[in-house]
Amino acid sequence: MKIVACYSNKGGVGKTATAVNLAHAAAASGLRVLLCDLDPQGASGFYFRIKPSKKLKDESFFKDVKRFIDAIRGSDFDNLDVLPANMTFRDFDIFLSRMKNGRSRLKKALKAVNADYDVIVLDCPPNISALSENVFKAADRIVVPVIPTTLSERTFEQLLQFFADHRLNRRKLIAFFSMVQARKTLHQDTMARLRQLYAGQFLSAVIPFSTDIEKMGQHRAPVATFAGSRQAGQAYGALWQEVRARL
Amino acid sequence: MAECFVLSGSVGDLPWAEAPAGGLRLVSAPEAEAVDFALLDCFDRPLTGSGRVLIEAGAELTLLTDAGRLAQTAARAGNFPGDLAPGPVRTAIADLPFLRSLLALGRGRMVEQRLALLDDQDKTQARARLWRLEPKGRGVAVTLVALQRLRGYDAAYDQLARRLRGAGPHLPLTALAATLFPGCPPYSAKPVVPFTADSAARSTATALIAAHLAVARQNEAGVIADIDTEFLHDYRVALRKVRSILSLFKGVYDPALTDELKRAFSDLMAPTGRLRDLDVYLLDRAFYFELLPDRLHPGLEALFALFAAERERQLAGLSRRLRSKPYGAEMVRLQAVFADPERLVSGPAADLPVGDFARGLIWKRYRKLCRIAREIGPETPDHEIHMLRINGKKLRYLMEFFAPLFPGKQMAKLIKPLKRLQDTLGRFNDYSVQQSSLAQFVETHHAADRVADLAIAQSLGALIAVLHQRQLEERARVQSHFADFDSPATRETFRKLFHHEATA
Repeated sequence: MKIVACYSNKGGVGKTATAVNLAHAAAASGLRVLLCDLDPQGASGFYFRIKPSKKLKDESFFKDVKRFIDAIRGSDFDNLDVLPANMTFRDFDIFLSRMKNGRSRLKKALKAVNADYDVIVLDCPPNISALSENVFKAADRIVVPVIPTTLSERTFEQLLQFFADHRLNRRKLIAFFSMVQARKTLHQDTMARLRQLYAGQFLSAVIPFSTDIEKMGQHRAPVATFAGSRQAGQAYGALWQEVRARL
Repeated sequence: MAECFVLSGSVGDLPWAEAPAGGLRLVSAPEAEAVDFALLDCFDRPLTGSGRVLIEAGAELTLLTDAGRLAQTAARAGNFPGDLAPGPVRTAIADLPFLRSLLALGRGRMVEQRLALLDDQDKTQARARLWRLEPKGRGVAVTLVALQRLRGYDAAYDQLARRLRGAGPHLPLTALAATLFPGCPPYSAKPVVPFTADSAARSTATALIAAHLAVARQNEAGVIADIDTEFLHDYRVALRKVRSILSLFKGVYDPALTDELKRAFSDLMAPTGRLRDLDVYLLDRAFYFELLPDRLHPGLEALFALFAAERERQLAGLSRRLRSKPYGAEMVRLQAVFADPERLVSGPAADLPVGDFARGLIWKRYRKLCRIAREIGPETPDHEIHMLRINGKKLRYLMEFFAPLFPGKQMAKLIKPLKRLQDTLGRFNDYSVQQSSLAQFVETHHAADRVADLAIAQSLGALIAVLHQRQLEERARVQSHFADFDSPATRETFRKLFHHEATA
């Protein structure tokens, strides 16, 4: 079981779209995937038409593993389940440690209900906090969307600095360029510079700025389901292939 | 996480008078276009018997069980279970015997329909797929239903399941094949013949022979079509059992009649022996290659090419024979002979109650087996070991024929160690027969050139030497396996079951 966190310390960079479409691509490749909606402002559940669970607002829900499992919802897609929760920090902390521990009651309970996931995708809230620090420790890979602009470049540098300050493993970070407008010289130049500066840290797959991705809100579905043959739909498939190769 | 079931008939206009509860909507995608389907199983129907339904339609193989549906590509190298592409269906039928080929029990047209329960957000909460199977022939259409549960939406699943379960009369998955394709009766190599201890010996023998004759006939088409090698094997076993009944059930028929019938069945089997031997060589190909070092493999390759070519000729000859008028007429004649016990001239034991008759035969054969076995030592000549094998086989057949008369559990306890002994004796015999048959082969067959001939001769020489070693090893095991069989408990059970005062 691998944990892939989708994270950005800056909002509006396409983080939730990344979590939703990566999870969908992973499931379509035959892996059993659980997408966890950890971002109170995020909308992973919304894109899968799943109503937030009331049960999970209960502070102590983690005391009862069964109640956690009952909160998981099957998406409309094979192999893809969603935990549509706004977890509290404490619950999330327990969640991460138990998902990493194969012998925990949580893992056993998941196995018992035939929900033995190969990949957990986390849609994380966009800030640097104690919570994100735990995500950085628990996740196998942290996928970071970066818009090729000067401002985003600075935020990415801040993230790298945070990793350095807290002695976190920077090699877990996988960045990719998001919302790329190929005709903008600024985007092209920034991408070239960052690729040179942080060799190996950026994936070669690029997610374009696309109305298809914006339309996810109307369709309430992953891009590949309504624009699979178009550029945006293909791009997430390629992105997942690269992330998978690094897991 | 789902269930599958079969409704008889077709689910026409979805008879849900009741609107879905809890704000859910039932939507159904338009029916897909009809496609051809084939219902697959092996000849003896292990899938049907275990409640599994394997369907090939389009480019997909679908396996349905009570527990749900599995699917994978239908692309495959051949029709044996091991020829399927790796996938969930192949895994789920991995228990099938690897010598049996899959074949189409029947064909028809299939229409798929998809149903879903959606909530007010258009989120799917439960799904079902329905396949209407319309068989070619006299069968009745059925609808297969596979429900799909989505985690966390149990109420919707239960609702959809309840509605679909009530949409028509149910059929067990085990009854699907017979409903769709009533024409082809199920096959069993071991027919059940009902009789009791009071039945007359002659009528029991006659019923057993008639049943095994029918088994032989059921295998003819499969031999001709060369579907798998088990058809010929079962054909031969059935005829061999008929011959055993004729020779072991002493005195049920008139001696002259018995001799004539034995000859008739011997004539039926004679043209099948070489083909079976070749089948066994070819099936054990990997085993032979493992016996010899790589250096001698080219000779084996050439040898097996000759085997394969000879098998083609033998099969063509046997198929011609099985399709011929004289053969058909002979089988019909024999079937008529055994259709009515009254038409067979009685021998002195004809009217004995079969219970006493059976106990007498088994007891005598058991004593004979023990007598031979207890004499066996390192100096015993091979033909004595062959005698032991033949008597063991006769004992086993007798116990199988008369099994309905005795308690199953105790019989199983007797047959198990006997079978172990027989396996060793069987291998001993196979190695011995193969040595002489390979030696004979090298004298009568020649490859295209002298170089190939030489390679074959070298490999054959080595093979015969290895087989001889193996034969000696098996021989060394005979005594200990007989000792296992000859336990005080086994002796006691044989005595209790078969040593009747009346036959003492």
